[in-house]
This record gives sequence, C-alpha cells and structure tokens, in this order.
Amino acid sequence: MKQKTDVLQGTLALMVLKTLDVLGPQHGYGMARRIEQISGDVLAVNQGTLYPVLLKLEQEGAVVSEWGASENNRRARFYRLTREGRKQLQVETQDWEQTAAIIARFFEVKTEDLS
Amino acid sequence: MKSLRRFVARLFNFATRRAQEERLREEIAEHIALQTDENLRVGLPPIEARRQAMLKFGGVEAMKQDFRAERGLLFIENLMQDVRFAIRSLRRTSGLTAFVVITLALGIGMTSAMFSMVDALIFRPYPVPHPGGVVTLASTTHDSNLDNFSYREYLDIRDKTKSYEGVIANADMQAVGFSAEPGAPPRVRGGMMVSGNYFHVLAVEPRLGRGFREEEDQVSGRDAVVVLGPNFWKHEFSSDPGVLGRTIRLNGTDFTVIGVAPETFPGMLIFGQPDFYMPMAMARVFSTNLRKNFFEDRDDRELNVKARLKPGTTLQQARNELAVLARNFESEYPKFNRSRGAAVYTQFETRTREDLNWKFGVIFVILALAVLLVACTNVAGLLLSRARARTREIAIRLAIGAGRFRLIRLLLTESLILASLGGLAGIAIGYGIVEWFHSKDSIVFATDLPVAVPFRMDTRILLVSLGLSVLSALLCGLAPALQTTRADLVNGLKSADVDVPGRKRLWGRNVLVVAQVSISLMLLTASFLMARSFQHSLLEGTSFTKEHLLMVNFDPRLVHYNAVQTKQFYKLLAERARSAPGVLSEALTQNVPLGVFDDFEGIAFVPDGLQMPRDRENFTSTMDTVDEGYFQTMEIPILRGRGFLASDTADAPRVAVVNEQLAKHYWPSGDALGKRIRLDSPAGTPVEIVGVAQTIKYQSTFEKPMDFMYMPLAQHPAARMDLMLRSSGDPLQLVQSVKDIVHTLDPNLPMLRTTAYEDLYLNQAVKGPGIAIQMVGTMGAVGLLLAVAGLYGLVAYNVSRRTREIGIRMALGALSSDVLHLVMGKGLLLVGIGTVIGLAMGFAVEQLMNSMLFNAGGVDIVAYIIVVPLLFLITMLAAYVPARRASRIAPTQALRYE
Repeated sequence: MKQKTDVLQGTLALMVLKTLDVLGPQHGYGMARRIEQISGDVLAVNQGTLYPVLLKLEQEGAVVSEWGASENNRRARFYRLTREGRKQLQVETQDWEQTAAIIARFFEVKTEDLS
Repeated sequence: MKSLRRFVARLFNFATRRAQEERLREEIAEHIALQTDENLRVGLPPIEARRQAMLKFGGVEAMKQDFRAERGLLFIENLMQDVRFAIRSLRRTSGLTAFVVITLALGIGMTSAMFSMVDALIFRPYPVPHPGGVVTLASTTHDSNLDNFSYREYLDIRDKTKSYEGVIANADMQAVGFSAEPGAPPRVRGGMMVSGNYFHVLAVEPRLGRGFREEEDQVSGRDAVVVLGPNFWKHEFSSDPGVLGRTIRLNGTDFTVIGVAPETFPGMLIFGQPDFYMPMAMARVFSTNLRKNFFEDRDDRELNVKARLKPGTTLQQARNELAVLARNFESEYPKFNRSRGAAVYTQFETRTREDLNWKFGVIFVILALAVLLVACTNVAGLLLSRARARTREIAIRLAIGAGRFRLIRLLLTESLILASLGGLAGIAIGYGIVEWFHSKDSIVFATDLPVAVPFRMDTRILLVSLGLSVLSALLCGLAPALQTTRADLVNGLKSADVDVPGRKRLWGRNVLVVAQVSISLMLLTASFLMARSFQHSLLEGTSFTKEHLLMVNFDPRLVHYNAVQTKQFYKLLAERARSAPGVLSEALTQNVPLGVFDDFEGIAFVPDGLQMPRDRENFTSTMDTVDEGYFQTMEIPILRGRGFLASDTADAPRVAVVNEQLAKHYWPSGDALGKRIRLDSPAGTPVEIVGVAQTIKYQSTFEKPMDFMYMPLAQHPAARMDLMLRSSGDPLQLVQSVKDIVHTLDPNLPMLRTTAYEDLYLNQAVKGPGIAIQMVGTMGAVGLLLAVAGLYGLVAYNVSRRTREIGIRMALGALSSDVLHLVMGKGLLLVGIGTVIGLAMGFAVEQLMNSMLFNAGGVDIVAYIIVVPLLFLITMLAAYVPARRASRIAPTQALRYE
C-alpha cells in the first residue's frame, strides 16, 4: 500500500514537471485536468494528492508559485517551472526512460532466450 | 543538498504555518470552484456539480495531513499539540496533578540531595587541572590498606620511581597556633605541611604571589614561608593583596607569606579546607610526635603521598613499579617494613577505601532511591487509575483512527510533563536539603579548624535530577499508557470504565499494591534499624562524665618550651589547678573522648611471652597520654587493678592501663593485669599493665570497640595537652582561676580553645549523628507516608470500581458482610504477599547494613510489630470505606453507576 503511494508520488511529481514544461505556468486545477486527460485514472479520485506533491517540489526549488488571476478572473495560485526544475525534469526523464527500457526488456525476455 | 534545502524550507514553513494553512484553504476552494464550473458546463445541476467536484478532489483532511507532513516539522508540531493537550488535561484534574507532582518532588528531591552527598564523598574530582592523572600512593599492612608513608620513604618513592611527573606529600591538617601579628595572642587554625613541589605538581597556580620552590623544602628549618588558603586570606586578611611578604606567627615561629592559593583550589580534602600550607622542611615547628624524628625515622609515618602519572604511563605500570620498591624496602629495612606493601589507587579507589563516609552515603542513596521508587509506584498507580477513567476518551480516539503509538506518545507526554514539574520541585527540595545542611554547618562542626560541608548542588547533580525525572516519567507513565491503549474498543465505547473483575489486566494494579507494601516495609526496616543503631551508638561506651567539665588546651611549643620546661609547666599547672577554689578534680590528657580533630598517637608493642606470628614485628594500638587524675575526673571506671598514681614518675618502672577490649584481645583466657608488654619489639622497653579500664568511645560515635592504651604523662611526655577541671556548678566559672594560674606560670602562654566539655561533646558526638538520625528517620517517614497514601488510594480505587459488581451481588441477595468479606479478603491477601516480600527484603538490607556499618544486633522485631499491623489496618480501611458505601447504595443506582 505504502509502496504504491510512493511510486505514485514519484511519478506524479514527474508528471507535474512535464505538464508545467509543456503548458507553462499553471494552477493546480489546470494541472490536475491535464494529468487526468493524459493518464486517465492516476488522479481520477484524488485530485487533492496533487497539492502535497506541489509543495514538495516547491520546497525543493523545482517550481515557484505566485498568486494570479485564473481564466474566469478568480484568484488562483500559479506554479512555474524553475531552471532547476527543468534540470530535474531532464534528469528524471532520462532515469525514467532508462528504467522503463530495462523493465521493458525484462518483459520481452522469454524462457527460451535464456536456455 | 536537496534535502537540506527542504529542511530549511520546512523550518521556515514551521514558523509561518498559519499563513500556509490559509493559502492551502484558498487553493482548495479555488480548485473545487473551477471543477464545479466545469461540471456545470457539462450540464449537472449546481448541487450535484459541487458534490462531484468534491468527490473528485478526494479526502480533504487526509490531504491536509499529507500536506502538513510535507510542509513542516511534523514531529515538533505534534509534540506541541501533545504538550498543549497534556497541560489542558492536567489542569482539569489539578488536585491529582498536584499530588503527583509533590510525590515525585519528594522522591527526586531526596535522591538528588543524597546524591550530592555521595558526589562530594566519592565522585567529585580533585579541584586541580587534569584531576584524573592524580593517584594516591599508600602503604599497606595487615591492618590497613591505606596507611601513610614516612618522610624517608617519601623521598625514596619520589626519587626512585619513573611513572610520575611528580610525587607530592602532605601531612594531615593539624591545629596550628596562629597570630597575624607577632605580638597577638595565638588562635587555633588549620595548617597543612606539604612537600615543596605540592602546588607545582598539582598544577595549581597561586592567585597571588607564588607557590613553594623545591629548595624551600630541602633544608630543615631554614625557609619559614607559608602559602595561605583562599578562604583564610579572604576572612583573616580581607583579601588584602598587601599580605605578600608579611610576617605571621605559626606555633610561635615567624613565617613569611609568599602566596595565596586560588579560589578554585579549596584543598584536596573532602571536609577540610586548610587555612595555610607550610613546607615539610619546617616539620620541627609542627610535628606532634615528640618521640620520633620526622626527618630520620622510617617508621614515623605521617605523610599522605600522591602523584601525577606521566601521560602514557598506565596505572598497572605504576603499580608494578611501586610493588618492586615496596619489596626493596622490606629487604633493606626489615625492622620497619616487614610485611608492608604499597599500593597505587585512583581517586575513586582512595575514596571508597578511606572510611565509613562513603558507605553512609551509599546507604543514604539506596534509601532515597527506595523513596523514589515508592513515589513512582504511587504515581504509576494514580496515572493508571486516571487512564482508566479516560477509557472511553481513549477508545473514541482509537476509533476515529488515532494510532496507538501516537496515543502512547500523548500519554507519555503527560507523564513527562508531570515528571518535569516534579523534577523542578524536586530540585528545589534538594536545594533546600543541601542548604539545610549548610545551615547546620556551624552547629555540627563547632571547631576552630576550617571544616566545610562539601555537599552542594552543581550542574552534575542537576543533570542527575533531570535524568531521574525522565526515568520516573517512563517508569510511571509507560505501563498505564500501554495498558490503556490495549483497551477493548467495543466495551470502552459502551462504558466509561471497562474493567471486568477477574480479568488479567487487574494484575498490574495488584503488583503495584504488593510493591508498595514491600518497598515501604523495607524502607522502614532500614530506617528503623539505622535510627536505632545510631541511638545505640550514642549511648554505648559514653558513660563517662560530660557535665561540669572545663577544658583548656595548651601547647607550650608556642612559647618555645623545651621538654623539661614543658614537663615542669604541666606539673605546676596540675598542682595549682587542683587546689583552686571550686575545683573538685583535675586531669591532663592529650585528647578528650570524642573531641574534635583529636590526634591520637599509635603505639607499637609486643606482649611479653606471646609468640608473634612469623610475618609480624609487633602489634599496634591507639593510645592516649593522661595524668593520674584522668580516670577519676572523667569517671571512666577502672575494672581491675589501678589507675595512674603520682608515684608513677619518670624514674619509676613504666606502667600502662589498657582497656577491656585490648585486654580480652591479647589475653583472652587470663587476666591482663600484671602482664608486661614491650614497646616496638621483643627487645623494647618493658611496660607493666597495672589496670584495665572500661572500653569507651574514643574517636567517633560510630566506631566499633577498639583496642586502647593509656600511658602516664610523667613517663610518656607530650606537648599539647588539655587541662580538664571538674566543678560543682557551671564549669566556665573556673576560667578566671585558670587564667590567673597560667598568668603566674607564664603570662605569654596562650590558653587555646577554652570550652565546657559538654558543649563540645554535644556538638561533636550528639548533634552530628543526630542529623544522620533525622535524615534516615525523615526518609523512612516520607517513604511510609507516600506508601500509605498510595496504598489507600489504590485499594480504595480498586474497590470503588467494583461498585457495579457489588450492586449486582447485593441485588442477587448478597449480604453486606459477604461483600466486605470478599473485598477485604483480596486486599489483605495482597498486603500479606507484600509483607512477606518486604520482610525478606528488609532482612537482606539489615544484613547488608550490619556488614557495612556496625553490628546493630539482630532483626528489629519492634519495627515489624508496629509497621505490619499498620499496613494491614490501612489496607482494611481503604477497602472498607468504599465497600461499605457500595454495599449501602440501592442496587438500581449501583447498576447505573459509572
């Protein structure tokens, strides 16, 4: 259970970074929508889990936030990727791709390949 | 790096957490509003749109928890919550809180005061730089493993050992006649002879002037220089820096002040602070033993030798080296050093070998710890009852998802707060006790010599006290906390109080009751025993006269009398004093029984006709020099033979009076009377035993009966003597006649220490031990009081919790006598078990104390006869009152009772 959350949190952070990288400054709801559109069920029930992740990223210096006006002129908090965040995104993307590639290769291996 | 940054951010957030909370709320509101708008756009009705939005957002509270956990220092925040909560809930039950705090304070206060005592006696390091390197070298014999060295032996050790940076020596602190101006009448002050390298090796830098130079300790009698102690300088010279170079008179000899020791160096003794230090080369002015030559005689052992180990040298190397040296002594000087070894001790080893002091300290600490244990049991019992009453609250907390760990932490925080309060109050009590000691200071040690109460509170004691508080918090709080959180949820929610009689959980409280009874019984046994044996010590061997006795101390060395003059002076003094008006009888003695800082000589002898063991040269005994009036004046009974007579002159055959202890020791079957002993060796001067005197106490109230011998003044001259005069009325009325007599003999001779012996005796032999008795008694009383209060509370609580059960029993037709029987039977059983354990522990403690201190005789039946019924009575009462109430209320009420 715990482990699942950890993985989820880790990937969620990456998704947030990527979203900000693609869309530019966004508020929490915008990011939630975007992630939902792309990933489907990661945030289906729990949009709220986004906020602790955002806070963590902010404390690490990957994103900064400030108040701004949303599309319907409400006060909303906008998150923006920092240079450091961009760097982090790059590193993590690489890591992730590498991991994914390795895992993928493992899944491709069949019993007869090893004999 | 990243985690550091996060930590800093968290710290910052912790400080600004209110603003953050606000921001989060706004963000959530915004998020939900946006989602609701979206839902409205797809055509949902407004209420449903909002509901869906919130569902989608998920659990707000859980998210907030995550957010907070991410945001700040969760641990500290929770702790602060716990503390706030604990303070609130403790305030609600302020009576109980106060009781717990007072209970703990008593336990902690006593323990820390006692520890400050043990610290002073054992643990506190020497007040010098790098005290760990300072070791004590001791001469060892059959009878003592902490004997002194002679001057010659010291020189050999100093010059022939390689393990040390320096070897120092000092004589015991002694009474010295001091006058600030050469003309002024001398007063008695405490001086200590030390080796020339004393301050240098101890690395003590004088505050003013300089320490001794090595050459000032080389030529006998040449360098009359003196270093003042810091307190003496302050009080006697008002901290005047001009004191350097001044001349003061010590024992009639002029000394030049060359330095003042620093405040940080009150001296190396536990109880005494020397007023001044003199070089050993001046021993002729100070040595008390007229028959031995300090500088030449290898058996004039007056020196305490210490040394500073060289860095890198181990204790074992030093020990081996000294052992070799001691064997060389043995073969080179068989006459003086046969079967005499040597040992190197660390400070701790020295102190624990020194004397009874530390044993007293250890016993006091054990007693104090027992009080603390009783206090903790009390508090544990109370907290347990309190936790019980909160079962429902706890159950609700568990039900809505509080973790067990979190709850235990909450409960522990409460007990920690209680313990800290108790600890603070305890420190105050400890301070109070220590201050009380200090206020007694002047009473206990009414003496001219500089004696200080060394007990004090310092940071180390405070740390120990705080440690004790935390320990007691864990001790008191953990068990209730664990038990409570194990409570059965369903039952807990149904009633305020889930306990069903007969459940396993009850045993915890039963154990507490048993522990209370047994510890308090042990404590009581110990304090009864100690108090009783102290009392016993006060009475035994003190049947001699104390009333109507004037004592005046003389030391003709102060006016440079030689042996002949001294003898003549005492002869005339005795004669004239005897015939003075109002004087019933007269005595001269070197020491008074149980006086302050008496200086008893030792004497070596060989009983005639006794085969000496092969490894022994002679036996030793403590002795005193007295004149022919002594036994009569002091009313010390001569059991057989005679006391001294005027005919026992210097020319007459040598005679001695021994005490009964010595007589039985060496002549167990026959009569010592008429037997002869030889001094020092089988070829020594023969001395006939002409009398056997009753054994009394000589040096301290707590001594065991010891061998003792008296020599007549005429045959065994001494310089410093006390004149004792018995009067029919107030002895101080005789002072003027003595003054007149002394004036006619020599107007320059000072009368040192003129007091009524009774005052001295009361101060020294009664009040000091009286304080010990008071302390032990107080500890016993406090322990019993706490135990009784705790016992009553626990038993009464146990019974009152069974009110509902009792109601049911009554409803089913039980008689109130049945109920009482049931309830009280249980209480009595517990007390019975506790009594058995307590008695066993009490016996063990008695054994221990008898072996450590003094044989106070067997088991103290009286204590048990008083205490055991008392405990039973209290338990019965504690069970009876609530049981009676329970059996009286209507069953309907009892059933509803919570």
